Amino acid sequence: MRKILRGTTGADKVLISVLILVSLSGIVFIQEVMPKARNVLIEVDGHPLYVLPMGRDGIVEVEGPRGKTIVELKQEKVRVKDSPCPAKQCVKQGWAEHGVIVCLPNKVVITIGNDGDDVDTVVDAITR
Amino acid sequence: MKSGIQHAKSKFQIPNSTKRMVSTLCCFVLLALPGSCTHGKEKIYKKSRIMMDTVITISVVSHSEDHAERAINSAFSEIKRLEALFDFYSPDSEVSRINKHAGISRVKVSQDMLAVMVKASFVSDKTGGAFDVTAGSLLVLYDFSHGIKPRPYAIEKRLPLVNYKAVHIDRKDAGVFLEKAGMLIDLGGIVKGYAADRAVETLKREGILSGLVAVAGDIRAFGLKPDGKPWKIGIKNPRAEGKDDILATLDLKDMAISTSGDYERFFIIEGERYHHLLSPATGYPVRTCQSVSIIAGEGVLADAFATGVFIIGPEKGITLIEKMGFDGLIIDREGAVHVTSNIREKIELEKNFTRHNGS
Repeated sequence: MRKILRGTTGADKVLISVLILVSLSGIVFIQEVMPKARNVLIEVDGHPLYVLPMGRDGIVEVEGPRGKTIVELKQEKVRVKDSPCPAKQCVKQGWAEHGVIVCLPNKVVITIGNDGDDVDTVVDAITR
Repeated sequence: MKSGIQHAKSKFQIPNSTKRMVSTLCCFVLLALPGSCTHGKEKIYKKSRIMMDTVITISVVSHSEDHAERAINSAFSEIKRLEALFDFYSPDSEVSRINKHAGISRVKVSQDMLAVMVKASFVSDKTGGAFDVTAGSLLVLYDFSHGIKPRPYAIEKRLPLVNYKAVHIDRKDAGVFLEKAGMLIDLGGIVKGYAADRAVETLKREGILSGLVAVAGDIRAFGLKPDGKPWKIGIKNPRAEGKDDILATLDLKDMAISTSGDYERFFIIEGERYHHLLSPATGYPVRTCQSVSIIAGEGVLADAFATGVFIIGPEKGITLIEKMGFDGLIIDREGAVHVTSNIREKIELEKNFTRHNGS
């Protein structure tokens, strides 16, 4: 170590420091600026059953109190393909890219990409 | 050896100014790294769960995902606890115990039940009995899932059991007694607002400075969003096709808002809409409003007054809301919008909605 230090000038040390700084700031930059991978969380009655990456297409079945809810992921979108509930509001909601799909009777909650960047909605909540 | 070091020292002496610069830069790196990893910028963290037979969504503003999650989970646990007390259909709930002992004996209750019963009785007084938790014995006569209305004699038989003045609340001893056998209290018109209040208290206790709790349509907000703006709330269009179709938006800052509508639980027979907002005096649904939204400091009051004002009707309703120092918006049976004077300028109506003349 001493040998290496002996071979450097003050300017070298500054250069090394700057290089370290630049490379470290790269890590910070990537963490702050690059979008995080978005996940889809599927819960039944408050229990998380699946965390699926948004990018991958596929179909999963979850068992709720009324039977099987079928969830489909395709091209960064999510929908309930079929559900054992009577009104089928979750199915009627169709494909979603953001937010939440809920099936009240079968107690299924599908949360899409809850990374704190849910900014593209007009309102924060609806009173009904 | 000693001299060698000294020699080296003198030869490779770094100028003081450079040293200072390097150490300053290092400090920046060291400070910036942990800061960005654990205390990123403020974000909104949001979670939905199914409880109290509805969807509950809690949003919090936090620097840290862990902190947000901890706080949200505590708030959900609190709501879960309340759900067990107030569930009308669970035989073991506190409300069921009170109902089972109607006409028999006083029931010792929790502080939460006492608080809700005291608020309910206050709202009943202020609304002249339009809000009445003892309308539970009428409500059970309607079968909303199969669309069956009760026979008139069944309603008439139960009307004597509906009277909030026959509910005796012992504040000192935390006891509740229903005077007549057969009386049933249903707290569905007040507990969701109460749950929103308790959830907000829990979030604040967990160190959250800004958040939004939506127990279905009973919403309470506190603090500001990361962009410095208040939480924005949409009021549902009562005759909407889509479930998220809204008729107005408004900002909510450290307040609660609740809505009662004739579209929540209903069926239609021969063109008549039978919904769950019954007149305690007649036992039939009241058809002068489509929906009533109330803005108040407490969720428990917003919730109960929304139900009571719906039954009172639009004109007298607006007067009462203003007298109570609340704000509100009423859609009458024709679809005209009535608002209190305070929020007339603050509310943004979607197109297709006309303001009622005079209010």
